[in-house]
Amino acid sequence: MEHAFSPYTDNGGTTVAIAGKDFVVVGGDTRQSEGYNINSRYAPKVFALSNGSVLATGGMYADAVTLVKTLGMRLEWYQFQHDKDMSSPALAQMLSTILYGKRFFPYYVWNTLGGLDENGEGAVFSYDPVGNFQKYKYGCGGSASHLIQPFLDNQIGRKHLDTQIDYTIEQVKKIMMDAFTSATERDIYTGDNLEIFIITKDGVTKELHPLKRD
Amino acid sequence: MFLTRRIQTKDGIVLAVEKRSTSTLLESSSIEKIVEIDTHLGCAMSGLIADSRTMIDHARVECQNHWFTFDEKMKVESVAQSVCDLALRFGESADGEDALMSRPFGIALLIGGIDENGPQLYHADPSGTLTRYDAKAIGSGSEGAQTELQEHFHKSLTLEEAISLSLKVLKAVMEEKISSTNVQVATVTKEGYKVLPEASLVDKIAALA
Repeated sequence: MEHAFSPYTDNGGTTVAIAGKDFVVVGGDTRQSEGYNINSRYAPKVFALSNGSVLATGGMYADAVTLVKTLGMRLEWYQFQHDKDMSSPALAQMLSTILYGKRFFPYYVWNTLGGLDENGEGAVFSYDPVGNFQKYKYGCGGSASHLIQPFLDNQIGRKHLDTQIDYTIEQVKKIMMDAFTSATERDIYTGDNLEIFIITKDGVTKELHPLKRD
Repeated sequence: MFLTRRIQTKDGIVLAVEKRSTSTLLESSSIEKIVEIDTHLGCAMSGLIADSRTMIDHARVECQNHWFTFDEKMKVESVAQSVCDLALRFGESADGEDALMSRPFGIALLIGGIDENGPQLYHADPSGTLTRYDAKAIGSGSEGAQTELQEHFHKSLTLEEAISLSLKVLKAVMEEKISSTNVQVATVTKEGYKVLPEASLVDKIAALA
């Protein structure tokens, strides 16, 4: 039997980011899988960065870790060169150019970036692996994104509904936890724990909530 | 030689230079001593003008690269610093970087622009030293001009006052009689870099008297 080298693995997992008026909540489950195996019940795929933004990754874990290392380095260089922290929109553009720089051997990663924009409002940037990105108010990625996206469209985007709602951080956290507990019922690659990062102008806080482990 | 001067005000930056004519046959509009680096940055120069090409090119490329990567305008200080870094890349190559030039640049620049920290003016000299000023004169008549600036500059100058102060200082130190064709004035405001048209200089110079 011939074995060709295969550089890519899908380690599963799901991420969600929801922006509010002056905050963003970014969450992801902590399970890492390979096929029917669970490698780890706590392998975080959401990363707080030095400039106060939070990057949620999905797809191949090794590529995600490498990408986050590169971003950490670039954030530090920027701070030294320009004597200020990189803004979230600047980071969003830089991430796109880094991803496109590997257009012909891409990082196998679906990124969702959360941060505050130039007006201090919550912003979510969603990417494909080659750097296409757009600014949204909410987004999700990873193995259960097809289960969660329509739920977010209804509850956060309030598509085809008459009322728009400015949610509080607590309300957004509840919606996110509901989304993950539901996804866990049907997606075998999502579970174990939900790690949530809350971004406000005062900084980033982190919470860990249990999910189904089966 | 010629004189270059720059003033920082709360509304923006004024750059003014004398374009000394060496011959009556010289087409004065062909002398360019104030150039645009980016929409929010201008640069006035004194010294070997040909050397400035390399530096200005470098600054322009840095600005565009920064915009491409970060989708934002590059800070004035960062641009000025990157030009100064270039000024030291002569002689033998050092730690992995290629030496670009056989000799140092023979040019001093006044780089001014607006960013999130407001209007700023930097002086980059051939040694690669970077210094920030409220008002600065360089070039042949700079001693006299700097003294004049010291006397008349204050932080609450408006842009219009700064323009007429620059012209007044130029007038005082120039050997030729000041006219709309032998000076060049540019401003950098929130609206961006702008060279003042000759027609508008005529009135401003007349108003000096």
